[in-house]
Amino acid sequence: MSQAQAIIDRCQALYEDLNFTAAREWKDAEPGRKVVGYLPIYVPREIIHAGGMLPLGVVGGGDQLEVIHGDAYYQSYICRIPRSTIELGVSGRLDFVDGMLFPSICDVIRNLSGMWKLMFPEVYSRYFDVPQNYDDEIGGNYYTRELQELREGLEAHCGVKITDDSLRRSIAVYNENRKLIRAVYEFRARQPWKAPAGDVYLLVRAGLVLPVEEHSQLMTEWLAAAEAEDKPLRDNCRVVLTGLFCEQPPLNLIKSIELSGCYIVDDDLLLVTRWLIGDVSLDGEPLRNLAHAFLHQSESTAAKYEPNLEEKGQHLVRSVRKYGAEGVIFASPSFCDPALLDRPMLQHTLADENIPYIAFKYAENSGQMQPIREQAGTFADSIKLWSEQ
Amino acid sequence: MTITAGVDVGTGAVKAALFEVNGDETKWLARQVLRVRQRDPLQLAEEAYDDCLAQAGLKRDDVAYVATTGEGETVPFHTGHFYSMTTHARGALYLDKQAQSVLDVGALHGRAILIDDRGKVLTYKMTSQCASGSGQFLENIARYLGIAQDEIGPLSRKADDPEKVSSICAVLAETDVINMVSRSISTENILKGIHLSMAGRLARLLKAIKAGDGVVMVTGGLAMDEGLVGALREELEGQKTTVEIRSHEDSIYAGAIGAALWGAFRYDKLAKLDALPMAS
Repeated sequence: MSQAQAIIDRCQALYEDLNFTAAREWKDAEPGRKVVGYLPIYVPREIIHAGGMLPLGVVGGGDQLEVIHGDAYYQSYICRIPRSTIELGVSGRLDFVDGMLFPSICDVIRNLSGMWKLMFPEVYSRYFDVPQNYDDEIGGNYYTRELQELREGLEAHCGVKITDDSLRRSIAVYNENRKLIRAVYEFRARQPWKAPAGDVYLLVRAGLVLPVEEHSQLMTEWLAAAEAEDKPLRDNCRVVLTGLFCEQPPLNLIKSIELSGCYIVDDDLLLVTRWLIGDVSLDGEPLRNLAHAFLHQSESTAAKYEPNLEEKGQHLVRSVRKYGAEGVIFASPSFCDPALLDRPMLQHTLADENIPYIAFKYAENSGQMQPIREQAGTFADSIKLWSEQ
Repeated sequence: MTITAGVDVGTGAVKAALFEVNGDETKWLARQVLRVRQRDPLQLAEEAYDDCLAQAGLKRDDVAYVATTGEGETVPFHTGHFYSMTTHARGALYLDKQAQSVLDVGALHGRAILIDDRGKVLTYKMTSQCASGSGQFLENIARYLGIAQDEIGPLSRKADDPEKVSSICAVLAETDVINMVSRSISTENILKGIHLSMAGRLARLLKAIKAGDGVVMVTGGLAMDEGLVGALREELEGQKTTVEIRSHEDSIYAGAIGAALWGAFRYDKLAKLDALPMAS
């Protein structure tokens, strides 16, 4: 087995482990260690890390978790990630987690933060709000205060001290991690036949459960190993995959799209790992710097307010141009308000730019891939045979 | 001159076709079909491809583009993959230049495809998950009745009083067949009844794509089942449509032919775009 494959196999084992054994082992390795969970899309993991704690990404139960209790908490027209997250909680799979952060994505996740407080009163649960105003003096001040509240809340609940110096060190560690993730994405866009989308997903997802330093090391090793491998180039079309920023698709869905003849050259999966586009400054006040990065150097997505209508969907156009993509695949979770409400506006922008697209829905436990293969396969054929490019 | 190959990995059989393409001129150099019969389809794909090369006296390096279709996405030596609907459309047009729509009836499902004069898919409709309209179902029934696959068509043509079976569900259809056997209905009439039921389902697909009154080319593994093709003609005559059902002795290769020809088309397109390394 190649070294790159061995790394991906390890990442797959982490992905399949619904008991979060790696995070449990990290916590048990030294007394007093704390683990703080977070949901999609983005939390400043640097603040958790600066307190010596492990940030743990909780992105639902996937297609291997049978939801028994979770369904009782939600109506049938609600997406699946809150149900499976509740299932993870009530089944004791998250019983080692000391805090849970619920970022501002949609009403469902916001309400889940309240439910978590009621269901698990011993856990530090926080709805993590973000600004919708991008002026440093307004949104910046507001967000800096939010970050300060989070810092103080974690300090009080977890009994840790989060100093400015430790924050700067953590920002540096995460800057390095983001740089490597960008390198992985650039590598995939350059040589997608050497970096299957399923492998890249597993590699990046490992960063949700591993200490960031270990994850960075893993990516460094994988990049070197994957680049050295000799894999056959296929005549596939190049697509950008979007709409998957919250509830995760089954791994088979990602693989099916690629098998159908599409190289995925960019996506919005697991955005927490590359939400901040550039390096966060290490000078001055660290919380101010995190706030500044959020306001001026962060990804665009449906769950982030875009005040400029002209700018709506341009991030997709830029991604298509930058990575030489030939089309866009919208894949969104059923009942995902942010993704599905944004979709028509994004499609409108793509249509204006003559960029072909298709759209379908999924749930994290979707099992039937034939319709996906059919749509992605015919989309790839139409691009390869009939596009003017 | 471009040499291209098409490899169609189906549920029941693996088909390969080798072509020489020079502008609008095409020459079919070699073909091979291998029944899967619980063997590894990827190994069969390799075997069928190598057989074609041997027939034509060519080496792998002589082939500019190997296109797979069907379940052939993981065939290790392929250059590109085309969805089976796309390839059957092109293959049908190769076999009959007058084809305006295609009825691809394979082991797992049936599909009606409306095409234009370039072989581009305009719209399509396919049977749902249920296997009662498929070749696999017919094969199972033949096994229960103790007859060989190639006997199905001729026996069906001899029927004098067929009884239709359920066209909704394979399980119900099998129950229907068991009941017919216990009522001493002849094998010929049972088979014809199944063919008529399948034909009814396929005719509805043709109606759904608005096949109109043009030529419908039947492709896929069941295209050579004269019983099914006959039943289809009867069914459509009964519906007073002027659709003309045609089949071809090479219909089973339609997917592989289409893949090879689209491969040549794509190779040419990449050459014009100066992007040939993509297909090397």
